[in-house]
Amino acid sequence: MKKSDVKALPSMPLQSPTFPRGPYRFFNRKYMVINYRTDAALIREALPEPLEPAGDTVAVQWVDMPDGEGFGAYQAAAQVIPCTLKGEACNFVSQMYLDNTSPLAGGREIWGYPMKYGKSVLTTNADTLTGTLHYATQPVAVGTMVYKHDAFKADHKKEGEHLARTQITLKLIPDIDGTPAIAQLVAVRFENVVVHGAWTGHARLELVPSVNCPLADLPVREVVGGLHMDTDMTLPYGKVVHDYLAKK
Amino acid sequence: MKPEQILKLPSMPAASPSYPMGPYRFINREFMIVTYETDKELLRQAVPEPLDPNPEGYVLYEWIRMPDSSGFGDYCESGIVIPCFYKGEPINFTAQMYLDDEPPISAGREIWGFPKKYALPKLDVCSDTLTGTLHYAGQLVAMGTMAYKHQVAPGGVEAQAKGMTRTSCNLKIIPDVDGGPKICQLVAYNLTDITVKGVWVSPARLHLIPHVNAPAADLPIKKIVGGKHFVSDLTLPHGRVLFDYLKDA
Repeated sequence: MKKSDVKALPSMPLQSPTFPRGPYRFFNRKYMVINYRTDAALIREALPEPLEPAGDTVAVQWVDMPDGEGFGAYQAAAQVIPCTLKGEACNFVSQMYLDNTSPLAGGREIWGYPMKYGKSVLTTNADTLTGTLHYATQPVAVGTMVYKHDAFKADHKKEGEHLARTQITLKLIPDIDGTPAIAQLVAVRFENVVVHGAWTGHARLELVPSVNCPLADLPVREVVGGLHMDTDMTLPYGKVVHDYLAKK
Repeated sequence: MKPEQILKLPSMPAASPSYPMGPYRFINREFMIVTYETDKELLRQAVPEPLDPNPEGYVLYEWIRMPDSSGFGDYCESGIVIPCFYKGEPINFTAQMYLDDEPPISAGREIWGFPKKYALPKLDVCSDTLTGTLHYAGQLVAMGTMAYKHQVAPGGVEAQAKGMTRTSCNLKIIPDVDGGPKICQLVAYNLTDITVKGVWVSPARLHLIPHVNAPAADLPIKKIVGGKHFVSDLTLPHGRVLFDYLKDA
């Protein structure tokens, strides 16, 4: 392969790039978001400076993505910490687990989504919206929510704004000697968000301590509630909002 | 978390880094390598310039069992290595790799640019047959078989250990946040502290099934050259940049 073609590749490997170029449109992307209160001091430890904590409530969310452009069909679970950057409200994505290399490698390498391989399932079992996460064969999270108890509503402006809130990731890529080559805070905002339906309701959340999937390091003190959504959206490229390697 | 702590993190996520700092030590790493001859024109296309593929058209199809790997755990790998030349010196180019463990996938891609994807490879002794299989996204894409320890390889463990010091390289591509290339390099490395515990050659066969996301069969088999089976301890250290496409091309 010619050098100029090598430079034009979207990703490794040369013979079958793991992910194509973006942006990436998702259809019927379903969420179960469980908001819960945890310890403020632990949030401060988990948030990279210069992000500032915004309260003591965080979220564990399950996302079912049956149709993601470039990525296929997969499911993910994530921990999200609301915070501020220079006064702007945003969400720091601290941990993500999924079962598909294409978005896993693309997520890490493009935006620095903190993705590891785990088996996340979001499904409706009889009357219960149920999220489970297994890491290295062990169950590490179970979330349950009542199924569409709210009356259906047509206006989803609030949920649309919630989804379009800026997400922040900490992108770390080592150099070939193991020292950091990239250490940045990256901002990304979902675009063209369509909310087909959204429901709030009672929820419960169980997190099991696990060293390589430490969701339980932000322990559940009180469940605030659940949010169930069915959406379409576009994941665009990001922008660097803080560079830890920049000369001061 | 403070900036000084962030710059000391070996990898993402900050909450539990996927992989620690290297080097990485492998104990009882078991290889089955089937060497075959393919189409030379297709081989040229699969090798990035400025590397040149070997003139014989040889490809190494590998299975590797890694039961005890520091930082990474217990996993199995399968993939394609192409013997090449860089400025006249022999070098092995890793073209495709499939494995069942995320930390070595992420570390492999992010540190050295190993072209790794998640799949289910297996290397087992099935009665009299050393058997490698690879399933990608639910489908069988490669099956290799080798007669079990029929003959100690010429030169024995010493010759094998010496051969394994040969330089290897990968094409490391990491995009920027806007999708453009941030890192685009040929990265070289050499295994160190190699102990070979046994090495055998035997007849082998290989079956590759066309699959778009695991395209081993894109380098079709014209002729099987032979199989090699060995068990070793070794260390994978950090690498060095051989060629930088963003600066040198």
